[in-house]
Amino acid sequence: MELKVKVVDRKRGLAEELYLPAVLAGLRLTVHHFMRNMFGKRDVVTISYPEEHRRVAPRYRGRHRLTVREDGFIKCVACYMCEEICPAHCIHIEAGEVQDKSVEKYPVVFDIDELRCVFCGLCVEACPKDAIRMDTGIIAMAYGERDRFDFTRDLLKDPYHENEKTKFRSVPLPLSEEEALPNSIAKVGGGH
Amino acid sequence: MESQRHLKPLDFGSEPMTIELGPQHPAMHGITRFRCQLDGEVIEKMEADIGYLHRGFEKEAENTTYINVIPYTDRLNYVSPLINNVGYVLAVEKLFQVEVPRRAQYARVIMSEISRITDHLTCNGASAMEVGAMTVFLWFIKAREHLWELVEEVTGARLTTNWTRIGGNANDLPYGFLTMLDERLVKVEEALNEGEALILRNKIFIDRLKDIGILSRERAIEHGFTGPMLRATGVPYDLRRADPYLVYDELDFEIPVGTVGDCFDRFLVRQEEIRQSIRIIRHAVEKLPPGDFHCRDRRVWMPDKYEVFNSIEGLIDHFKIVMEGPKPPPGEAYHAVEGGNGELGFYVVSDGSGHPVKCRVRPPCFNYVAAVPEMTVGHYVADIVPIFGSINMIGGELER
Amino acid sequence: MTLVIDLLLNPTIQAILKILVIVLGFVMLTGTVLTLMERKWSSAVQDRIGPNRANLGRWRGRGTLHLAADAVKSIFKEDTIPQDADRLIFAIAPFFSLFAAMVVWAIIPVAAPIGSFRFQITDVNIGFLLVFAVTSLGVYGAVLAGWSSNNKYAILGATRSTAQMLSYEIFLGLSLVGVFMVNGSVTVSTIVANQGQYWFGDVIPKWGVFTQPLAFLMFFTAMLAEMKRLPFDAPEGESEIIAGYFLEYSGMRWSAFMLAEYIAIVGSAALTVTLFFGGYQVPWLHGDGFELFGYLLPLPLFIVTALQILAFVVKVVFFCWLVILIRWTVPRFRFDQIMELGWKKMLPLALANMLITAVWLLAWDHWHL
Repeated sequence: MELKVKVVDRKRGLAEELYLPAVLAGLRLTVHHFMRNMFGKRDVVTISYPEEHRRVAPRYRGRHRLTVREDGFIKCVACYMCEEICPAHCIHIEAGEVQDKSVEKYPVVFDIDELRCVFCGLCVEACPKDAIRMDTGIIAMAYGERDRFDFTRDLLKDPYHENEKTKFRSVPLPLSEEEALPNSIAKVGGGH
Repeated sequence: MESQRHLKPLDFGSEPMTIELGPQHPAMHGITRFRCQLDGEVIEKMEADIGYLHRGFEKEAENTTYINVIPYTDRLNYVSPLINNVGYVLAVEKLFQVEVPRRAQYARVIMSEISRITDHLTCNGASAMEVGAMTVFLWFIKAREHLWELVEEVTGARLTTNWTRIGGNANDLPYGFLTMLDERLVKVEEALNEGEALILRNKIFIDRLKDIGILSRERAIEHGFTGPMLRATGVPYDLRRADPYLVYDELDFEIPVGTVGDCFDRFLVRQEEIRQSIRIIRHAVEKLPPGDFHCRDRRVWMPDKYEVFNSIEGLIDHFKIVMEGPKPPPGEAYHAVEGGNGELGFYVVSDGSGHPVKCRVRPPCFNYVAAVPEMTVGHYVADIVPIFGSINMIGGELER
Repeated sequence: MTLVIDLLLNPTIQAILKILVIVLGFVMLTGTVLTLMERKWSSAVQDRIGPNRANLGRWRGRGTLHLAADAVKSIFKEDTIPQDADRLIFAIAPFFSLFAAMVVWAIIPVAAPIGSFRFQITDVNIGFLLVFAVTSLGVYGAVLAGWSSNNKYAILGATRSTAQMLSYEIFLGLSLVGVFMVNGSVTVSTIVANQGQYWFGDVIPKWGVFTQPLAFLMFFTAMLAEMKRLPFDAPEGESEIIAGYFLEYSGMRWSAFMLAEYIAIVGSAALTVTLFFGGYQVPWLHGDGFELFGYLLPLPLFIVTALQILAFVVKVVFFCWLVILIRWTVPRFRFDQIMELGWKKMLPLALANMLITAVWLLAWDHWHL
């Protein structure tokens, strides 16, 4: 396409020299906002937390959770891919043996230091087993001690803990794999 | 200032006062330090001092794979994260010589322009706030809030987006995004009109910014200015037209230029660029083709999850990309995008392994901060803040 | 019993009681509430909710408890004095501002006099000149605070403040010369009583804003500059010199400056109302009731007085609201632009106003007597 140039208009004339018309026009706008917010229909962006909660997008990368199979056993096979790809090196895994030869490995230790995590979502992309997801919708974790941010394997298995259910949960756990959008499954074919 | 110059200096034995607009200052965005020598309220000499936010981006990039650099790029220009993502992967795609599907390119254009709008809204809002119009700042931030929600819908985070990948994007535009986009753009335009109505015709605001911080066209080019700062001096140089990348050569928009090159021109140019970005987004949405959001080149693309779960080739390809990183052929590539601030360039050198040998970022605001003393000497102390606000210095980008 | 009545009839005791009621009861209360209202009204303009979280258990009171919270916080904050600061001047500087802000109320009437009892603390015959003489002392508050802080930013703020306040004192006075000419006296009660007259046979009240509109605009602008409110708050800087002259103040000393500023807002609103908007006058309300076009609605005297006090309060609150709203509408002047506005634009306008008023009055007297 050709280059189209538009010169910005900086000419100002007598109406601006008089100061007052602009101030009065500004006052009109300000008073309109004032009346609307004080007496009419409020248009504020403030969300009165904790009474109201912000809507969290389905793709929002919140706290991690480890998924389980139908029999309740953890899906993760300790392949170390998420640990390798994590840019913040916040995942620590130690593998252990499982008697069932179709599974072979499981993580004895699976720690994520949520304070180091940068919430990039690469671990979810890297996982070949759909074992880790970040779709809990938990926006922020607020604890009093540093140690509380070290999430161990068992803590990560539960999608929500007691305090998370009451204080931080904004979005219900997606029930189907289609709902948990591409952080867990890559869809090919686009379109919307 | 002129009227003071013709007076003979009185013999009071006075000396100029040195003040530090130090790193801790409400108006020094992203932390910079200026040492000024004042004669009364007129600035005689000024030095800029940077480096307070250096975090070692380039060194980190050397120690990690090509994919892992993408979360670091979010944090460069943190008010327009997607433009950084796009810039970096375009440079790496040049190394790999991969073709990105058209739908992915259009999606990248849409998200880049949304980021550009957030960048300009922040800069102009902050400029207005520092001149005293705090209401305008808050209205622009409210408009920006709508855009961050859009970004969250697509990428999963507001600022640390990590959305583009080598050869495409991490995921596609979600269902319902285009409707949401339409609604939000209308709200942004509304907020923009209101903010402009409050200050653009107001002589108080105009006098604060007019003829302040003038840099002539020749000096701007000598300093290496690009982006809105150069366009405000009258040079119609925009990388989206001069050296088109992605699908900008198929989209219809105008390039706003100024005439004088003062702070007022820069403000107006950025305002107009927001409107042009909205125009680009609407045009791109009309032309958005169906298709893939990622190329299928197995050197860079982690295969579909069903392939990874079910086939061994898929698993191996996936494994190699995760463990060793995508491996480009040895060589070097430079790609520049039109960032919110100007020419944001990425220079990537590869030696065939999965880690870049060198990943250098060309920050646009480096040249601007270097020119700030030249622009400010001779003005008053009260002018430092509008001048510094007009260059839109983002600490993360300046000092990586 | 007779002792109490004797005490009450003593003019000194009456003045003290009036001070207690007007200054402590109305002014301090309004000034304090205005600090909270500034935050709530500014948030209404900016599409957000202001402070609303201070609570006693579950009762939040929509933010009113923030007043108590602010007061308690100020008292308990560490009172820092910079190392090489001049301790005595640092300590007394806030009081100049407070004093100048409060003295205005000595002459403001809140209702029409009943018999010989005046609803003003004192009615000196020099009236407004007393106010101008004393508010000039307010300059000292800013200057001494800035100078004694041993801080370059504070010095910048103090210098700007001196020049600005001294210049705009002049324009304040000059813009009112027209008002004094029209009313023929400087005494406050006369000016307010004159505004109770009407044109065209009891229809349009002779308020100052109708007789001297240009003077009203200039007075309002000059008052904004005196109070160092946006658009004239270069001495307070906020983005360039951070807080200007009270940069080094913390705790209760800082609260004293803040309170002085808000009381000055209420005081200047009261001055504007008294000079230009009829003071306590309610249109068409005479001493015996409402009267318009010959229709009379008789009202007892105490209702009339109550209505006048209410009208006064409403008008003062309206102007406080306007001052606050202007802060959030207009940007800030640069310091040399403030001086230019004053000396190159307001001074000729004020002189022109004086000339036109004088010519008009002479012509009126000559041709209509």
